[in-house]
Order: sequence, then structure tokens, then C-alpha cells
Amino acid sequence: MPPLGLPIYGQPPLAAGDRRAPDAWRSLAERAGQADPAGRPPDGDAPAPASFGRRSFLQVLSASAALAGLAACKPPRERVVSYVRRPPEVTPSLPSYYATALPAGGYGVGVVVESHEGRPTKVEGNPAHPSSLGGAGLPELASPLELYDPARIAGFRRGGRPLAWSALLDELSEVAARLAQDGGARLRVLAEPTSSPAVAALRADLRARFPGSRLVAWAPVSEDAAREGTRLAFGRPLDVEHRLATADVVLSLDADFLATEGDHLRLAREFAARRVDAAAMNRLYAAEATYTVTGGAADHRLRLRASEILGFGRAVAAALASAHGLAALAPLGAAAGGAQARLAAAVAADLARARGRGLVLAGQRQPAAAHALAAAMNDALGNAGATVLYREPVLLDRSSGPEGLAALAAEIRAGGVDTLVITAWNPVYTAPAELELGALLRRVPNVVYLAAREDETTAVAGAVVAAAHPLESWGDLRARDGTASVVQPLIAPLVASATELDLLAAFLDRGQVGAWALVREGWRRRTGDEGFDRRWDRWLADGVVAGTAAPPVAPPLDGAAIAAALAAAPPPVAGVEAIFAPDDKVLDGRLGENAWLQELPHPVSKLTWDNAALLSPATAARLGLETGALATLRLHGREVLAPVLVQPGHADEAVTLPLGYGRRVAGAVATGAGFDAYALRRGAAPWIDGGLEIAPTGARRALAQTQGHFTMDGRALALALPVAALPGALAELEERRGPLPSILPEVDYSGEPYRWGMAIDLSRCIGCGACALACQAENNIPVVGRSEVLNSREMHWLRVDRYYEGPAEEPASVSQPLACVHCESAPCEYVCPVNATVHSDEGLNEMVYNRCVGTRYCSNNCPYKVRRFNYLDYHTVHAPQLAMLQNPDVTVRARGVMEKCSYCVQRIERARIGARVAGGTIGGDQVVSACQQACPAEAIVFGNLADPASRVARLAGGERRYDLLHELGTRPRTGYLARLRNPNPDLA
Amino acid sequence: MSALFSRKADGRLKLALGLAGAAVALALGGAMFYWRSPFGTGQFHPVVQPIQFDHRHHVRDDQIDCRYCHASVERAPSAGIPATEVCLSCHSQIWNKSPLLDRVRASWFEGRPIRWLRIHRLPDFVYFNHAIHVNKGVGCVECHGRVDRMAAVEQVQPLNMGWCLDCHRNPAPRLRPIEEITSTTWRPPADRAAFGAELMKRYSVHARVSCTTCHR
Repeated sequence: MPPLGLPIYGQPPLAAGDRRAPDAWRSLAERAGQADPAGRPPDGDAPAPASFGRRSFLQVLSASAALAGLAACKPPRERVVSYVRRPPEVTPSLPSYYATALPAGGYGVGVVVESHEGRPTKVEGNPAHPSSLGGAGLPELASPLELYDPARIAGFRRGGRPLAWSALLDELSEVAARLAQDGGARLRVLAEPTSSPAVAALRADLRARFPGSRLVAWAPVSEDAAREGTRLAFGRPLDVEHRLATADVVLSLDADFLATEGDHLRLAREFAARRVDAAAMNRLYAAEATYTVTGGAADHRLRLRASEILGFGRAVAAALASAHGLAALAPLGAAAGGAQARLAAAVAADLARARGRGLVLAGQRQPAAAHALAAAMNDALGNAGATVLYREPVLLDRSSGPEGLAALAAEIRAGGVDTLVITAWNPVYTAPAELELGALLRRVPNVVYLAAREDETTAVAGAVVAAAHPLESWGDLRARDGTASVVQPLIAPLVASATELDLLAAFLDRGQVGAWALVREGWRRRTGDEGFDRRWDRWLADGVVAGTAAPPVAPPLDGAAIAAALAAAPPPVAGVEAIFAPDDKVLDGRLGENAWLQELPHPVSKLTWDNAALLSPATAARLGLETGALATLRLHGREVLAPVLVQPGHADEAVTLPLGYGRRVAGAVATGAGFDAYALRRGAAPWIDGGLEIAPTGARRALAQTQGHFTMDGRALALALPVAALPGALAELEERRGPLPSILPEVDYSGEPYRWGMAIDLSRCIGCGACALACQAENNIPVVGRSEVLNSREMHWLRVDRYYEGPAEEPASVSQPLACVHCESAPCEYVCPVNATVHSDEGLNEMVYNRCVGTRYCSNNCPYKVRRFNYLDYHTVHAPQLAMLQNPDVTVRARGVMEKCSYCVQRIERARIGARVAGGTIGGDQVVSACQQACPAEAIVFGNLADPASRVARLAGGERRYDLLHELGTRPRTGYLARLRNPNPDLA
Repeated sequence: MSALFSRKADGRLKLALGLAGAAVALALGGAMFYWRSPFGTGQFHPVVQPIQFDHRHHVRDDQIDCRYCHASVERAPSAGIPATEVCLSCHSQIWNKSPLLDRVRASWFEGRPIRWLRIHRLPDFVYFNHAIHVNKGVGCVECHGRVDRMAAVEQVQPLNMGWCLDCHRNPAPRLRPIEEITSTTWRPPADRAAFGAELMKRYSVHARVSCTTCHR
């Protein structure tokens, strides 16, 4: 309450000095906004009156009420802050786009980042990058939120004492000089595997200066088994590249290659492209224990415990050898009995029919022998060179498994390590449980840890160096095929921070050189001075260094070694199987502080803000457990308390334990989310372990699942049908589209140049959720938190519904992305009392936030349930820094307002203004919605239905098209294309 | 026993109810009137900027085109507030010792931006785009008035939705040839409506009135 200067009844009048004009000031210090020496608060508030009785309160209240109306008329004028020197590439209010690459398992994924006045706001895939092809995955889409995370560590500290970068460099330089005296014999580096040429150069220099030092690579989720498998098969470790474009029959042995493993963005695109033409469909067999995205996309999902999948692979090999004359596979095969034999025979027959056009993949969880077996089968079937290519490994580190970490722990225990530089993410949390790395690290005199956030490892590290985000760093990364990309920053570091390059260079006394110079000079060395500057600019603009892909190699296969490895391969585990799996959203846990990812429903379980031990309905029934029950999981003497989620389609007598949750030292987002599966993970069996004991506790934890209803109850919502049934179903599909008789007035859109519409091809959709996340990033959609999700108040404009079909033990599934379908005859519009939701001439169902009074009638009347209401003020509660993340082209909604998918109208209007200024019209495929742009499978197509040549018009006119809830006569603009399955007729 | 209510009670009650109704109507009407009046819209209120920049001098006397300083007006949503370096492109040579330009020089040498006061403010849920308007023949003067006559710039149009829609529903009388887009002195021909209709054809003007044209 500012002093009014009014005489207040019953109190002495204010002293003359206190009755002052707003601009009056009493001391220079006060004028400058500092507290004055007398201890008065700076400018503004007078001290509260000594007594503030009822009368004076009412008097002040009435006076302020009378003045409030006037005061509200004239808010202070906004300031417009101009540049001093405008960077030539920036035009305020127009976004710019930069190509860069983001790290994924040490490889680079090419992205294009949208930047508004220097603020990166949105990440898209880079169509020119071989790993992205234009699609983007969850980690890439969520990365801007990581950048602006207010919980990031700022600056540098050693022994709890903050240090400037230069001071830290001086100290590290001293440490390095001391270590160099004995050749670095007591220096160890714990790093993540990487493909960066600049890191490679620095590591070589470090080896030269510290010949006695050793670098240990550690990744809790690694592809060591695949490389070890190729070493068995070919005598040296190789990278495997799968090509699905020409693969007619695909057998996945526990490989989730569409969502979490390998080059999944490219593979999803290639896979989906073969799912639309009934005459040229591929067929996917997925043998897996956990229900994954790949399993959901499969034509036949073979539900097996993870440790039995190798056996199934051998059964297929045996069938190929015995029934199809592939003698080379005879020593590798091992016939199975029962139902598996029939399945194996059918799969083998299919693979044998498609020689050179088939593919066998093994998952990262499977032992090396499984990868070697896959290589042998591909070789025997003639797939090698066609659908499978081999390359010399792109990662600098051939192995990053628990063995190296165990050796390091032994050295620490023996007192042989003086300085440990950690650039790997949070090894104290991710290390195998038996190492007790946290306690061990306290025994290392010097631990220097590069970290972006406080975590279990910063708690024990002596020196903590704030890590720069990839969007504010220079660097370089290679794609899985070897294609290099230069990582360029979009913004100057928001906090004092360093990159891995800076930190490693500090040990070479080159810490002041900077990552830019390190990367650039490295490329200058490699490619020569001649025309380098122009080349460099080209690379930055394109996002790829052309011509750097590694050539494929075709080494001879060593069948005997594979047979020996298979003979030595572990048998199926005894007891209940524990399967460790990276989480679809937070991966190994490193993205756990990302609220977008925490709130994104898991692609299969639709779980948010938690992980849970997944088990099959039969196993749950045997153990007396149900979804949400808390159970004690005990494995080899270690135990954790975990909520249970009953997952239809999960293998019996097996439990999937998703990694990356249950953090002990973490920020506000990850704390309290889920249970820690790492606490049960042993170095000896990091993926599949046996003898898990599960004891119900009787307690419960509510799991925030966004889809409570998993079946369609006989209604045709997400249609899926076998290819063979399509001709017979065409008439029914025909009935499920087009106008129905209506008493409502007909709106004529025939004269409109633009009729916006969308087509979603369920045959392509794999259900990964990238669309929902891209929508969240594009449209400033808030995160509401676990308790609000439990209240069904999540705000995602676009959700991916997942329906099961068939028996609960072995269901098939269909994923269906659903946002506002923009009904031409929209039920929401009739019930709005204030015309806040209306129709545009081009067919958009528009939501006008400034008219909305929050009756929620529209949401109640919406049959698709795609409208979202702001129950709380979700935006203003965040740190001001997060305002930098918002897309300035989309209104930030306030409390009490309804919102929903707008068909990315800001992109339509931008395209319209661009086209109209240039004097043209918008192309039928020119406007790309955020969900469409992100989708790795190209399942979503947006565009102009009035243009018969547009992709969306052709899809909407296709034979598989149907309207969701067509019987209601809403005439949605979003059409769905029924999913085709391609089951093997022999297994019918 | 006398009646509880006098003969006049009914009339008084009606009067009181009528007065109360009138008061409510007056309050509502007054508020509506107020918000539409220049007091509510903030019109005709010259704003004293941190630097005494005189548009009269620069536009009228020096004949500097609007686009010299508001450079992105033809291709971006925002017309652009000139960077300090734009001021100094002239004032490093002329009036380079003037005390009036102290703050400009300070901004340049200290790298501190000038914090101008916003005069034309639209609500956050309104997305106005300069580029499309100036490319379709809506001159600067139509919305910003005779800036060449303003010592301190003031808002001359109400900038409320009704005013936007007036023009979006009937743009013809507000159009001018694009060559004259920044002119402050251009005079329309006598039959402006017919001229405007011809311009609408020439520039293919389709002013839209869907909500999402401006609200996204």
C-alpha cells in the first residue's frame, strides 16, 4: 500500500516530509534505489503505521478501491529496448534458423534450431542429416527446456569455494604440471563414448602429455554387445547399419529400433515408408519381453522372456538350415520345441523367401552371441551388403561397459588414482550397484566433475565445473554413418560454464583457447587451408560436413567363432527375470530433470512422472499385485521399493525395470519421481538378471497414467486391419467418411482457396510421442505436474491414444495421435455462450482466448475430448528465465481459459503473409504443423485440402481414410487412415 | 390501524428501482464510453522520450524516409526500433557534440541500449504484422498520423478492435499506391473509393476478419 497522504481518522496526520510526490527522494542513495544509511527501505513504501485499526483499514480500503479504477487505466508505459549495434543477421520479430547437432549416445543427430532474437525456442530435425532426415526424437525436441533450466549449475567451484574460470584454469594447470611429473600415472579420465573428432584430438594430446594416464569410457546404456558381436563374427568390432527401405521381412530379436535404439529416427522413417502400400508392405516380427514401440508396430509380436530370445533366434537359424538349405547356419542353430518351433519355422520360411530383402536385428540388451548370430543369419540370407552394412566403428571408444568402470574402482581402492576427471553423466548414480562408486570417489584426492545440474556425483566431487548445454557450445559430432557435423552455439552461455573440450584442454594448459578454436583448427588441420573459411561456413549452414560418411566394409564371416560363442552363451535365467531398460523418455536418467519429458505419457504405458516395475497380468496375478501396488524388489541381496504396473503383453515371469528414476540427489523435477533400478543392477549382468524376488507390501502409490481406458469397447476408433481384409473393408470405410444428413445449416467452403486439413496415417504411426512433445514446444503448453495429471488436468493439445486389441496376455496395439480435429460442424461452437470458439472461413475451429470466460461447456460438448482448460496459472509460477523459452508467435494463456490445437495457425499466418507479400499463394504442402515436422515416421500430413495436388488432399481422398466418430456428423477436417497389418498367413 | 405502507410507497419503490437501474446502465455505459474515449485508448498524449527525438525535424525538414530507421517494416511483423548505430550513422558527423545527443553517444560507447517508451501498444494476444500492411498499400500515416508534425509522437488512432475491423471490412478508402507508402503529404484523388477499389485489385488485397488473423 503506497502512502496516500490522506488524513486518517484517529491518527495523527502524517508529517509533512512523508507526504511526498511519487518522484520525491530524500537521499542520493534512495534515489539510486539503495537503502539509505538510516535503514529506511529503498524508495517507495513508508513503514507500516504503528497501529492499523479497523477504521483506518476501512478508510484506506475505500480510498484505494476508489483509486484502483483510475490507477488501472494507466499501466506504466512499456519500454522498447533497441539494439546498440544490431547483428546483421537478426531482424527483430523474424525468427532465424541454425543447423547444429545434438549428442545422442555419443553420436550426433542433426537438428535445425529456431531462434527468436537470439533465443533458441524450438528444435526441428535437419533433413540433410543422415540420422534425422527431418524427424526429431524426444531428447532433441526437449532440449530447449534443458537449456533454460533454472536449476543448472552456474560457474565453477573447488572444495565448495566458487572460482572464476581463469582461477580454475590456474589450479588445473598446477594439478596437471604435478601429474605430468610421473607421466600422469595417477590421472584417470572417466568419459562417455563420443564420436567427436575434436575430443579425439584432445585425447591424443592428453595421452602424449600423460602417457601413464588412462581413459575409462562408461555409458550405462551402451552398444558394447553389438560391437562385441561383430568382433566375434568378423574378427574386429564393427558398426552395423540397418537399412529398412528394401527390407521386406524384418526379425527383431529384442531390438527397439524404432524408438530407443540405434539410428531410430532414420529407421522409423524407412520402416513407415513400407507400411502404406498394400502391395509392397514389409513384415515385422518382434521378439521381446517388454512391450515397446517396436513391438507395437510389429505384425507379429513374439512374447518371450529376454533371456529366451537368443534361443528363439537359434531356432529360426536351425529352421533356415534344415528347411531352407542354409548349411552355414546349421552349427549355429538349435531347434526349439512346441509353439516356438512353429513360429520359428514360419519366420524362417518368410526370411528365406526374402533373401537379400530381409533383415535380422539384435537388441542392445541381448548378449554378443545374439548379435553374432544375427550377423551370420544376414550373411547366409544374402542380406549383408543390401539391408545390413558394416563400418569401422565411429565412436572413439570400442567398449564402455561395466568392466572398465570396475577396473577403475579397483585402482581407486588400491589408492592408485590422484586425479579423476569425470565428463560422463553422473557415474555415482549409474554405476553398477556393487562398486559403491560414491563412497570410493571420496577417497580420490582430486575429483573434477563436469556437470550441468546437482546430482549424486556433484555431492562427492571436489571440483565441479558447470557444463555448457549443447545449444550454447562449439563442438563436432559424427552421425552413425560417420557423417560429421559441426556443433554451433545458438546463444552465449546463459551461465558461466565450460564444455568437455574446454575442460580437457585445461589439462594441456590450453583452457583459454576455447572450444571454437579447438574445433575449427582441428578441421583446418584435417582439410587444409585452401578455401577453408568458405568450407567452414558451408558446413555450419548445412549442418553436415559433406562427404565424411565412413565407407562400408565387407569382411569375411568367421562361423566357427560364432558357434563357439553361442555354445558359451548364457542359458535362460532361473527364477523371475529382471530386465533393465533405458526409459523411452529420460533415457538413462540424464533427461530426468526435463519436465516436458516427465509429463509426456510413456508411449506404451502412458505413465507420467514415474517409472514402475512392469510385469505381465499373469505374473501380477500370481504375486497378488495390481497396478499401483508397491512391492519390494530383491535381487542378489539388494532391494528397492517400487510401484508395479501391469503391462499387457509383457513376458511372464519377467519384470522390466526402467532406468533413470529414483534419484537421491536431484533438482525439483526429478526428485520423487519413480524408483532407482540402478540400485539392483550388477556389472556382471547389466541387462538381464535372474532370481528377482518380489514381495507385495500392501502399500500403494498412485500412478499418473493419462489413459485409463485401453480398449475401444467395440467402437471403431483406431482402425487396424490385415492387408488381406482391406478390399472387403473398403465399403465400410467408405461409410465412415463424408457428410451425413444434418439439420444444421450447410457451410459452403467450395469457393475458398484454402481448406486446411490434416491426415494421420495410422499405418505409419509408431506411437513414439514426438508429435505431442513438438506441439508442447511450439505452442507454449505448460507442464502441470504429477498431482494435476492425477486430476486429469494435463494440458497436451495432442495426445497419442494407445489401444490394445486381443487377449490381455498377448494384445496387439494401435497408436492414434489425436488433437482437435477441427470439425466443420463443431459441437463446441454451439455451446459457447461468448463466441470464444468460432469457425474461420478456411475451416479452422478457432479458439479466442481473450473472449473465453471459462465455462468449459465446449470441453463437455467435445466428443473427442481434446480441449484443455487452464485450471491454474501455470505460466507465471515458473522462473522468469523460462519466459525465454516461449514461442513469441503464440499467446501464453492465462488461468481460466480454454485452449486446444490451433492447427499451428501461427505457421499458417506466417506462410500466408510471406506468400502475400511476395504476391503468390500458399502452396498446398507449404505449411507444416509442428507435429508433422517432428514425426520421424511421416505419419502426420497437414495442408490445403482445396489443392487436389497437395499430399493431404491425396491422403484424405484415399481408400483407407475414415473419420473418427463419423456417426456424430461432426465432419472433422482431420482424417485418419486405417492401419494395415501384414500378418503371415501361415501363422493365422 | 394505519396502513403499513403509504400510498406513495409503490411509486417510491419504482423510482428507487428505476434509479438503481439507471445507475447501473450509466455505470456500464460510462465505462464503455470511457474505454472508447481518447482517455481510455491513450490517444493524443504526446510522450516525452528519454531522448528528445523530433520527428518533425527528421521527417519534414530533413525528408528522411520512415524506412531509413524503421528498416524492417516491409518484411517483418515489427517495423523495427532503430539501433543506436543508426542514429550515429548521421550524428557521428553532424551535431556530434550536441548535448541533446549525450545519451545516444553514451549508449554507443557504453554499449547500453536506449530504453524508449512504447507509444503504440497492442495487447499480447494481438499479432499485428507491419509487412503485410505496407505491402498492400496501407500507408504509415493511416495508423500513425502525421508524424512529421509531432514534436513528441502521440497515438492518434484508438487501436481498438473495432477500429481494426473498420478497415479490414472496408480497406479501399485507406489504400494508397505503394510508391507513396511512407509519404506524409500524399493526397488521394477525388474519388477515393473508386481509386481504392482499383488498388485492391492491383495489390490483390484480401483483408481477413477471422479471429486467428490477429489472435493466435
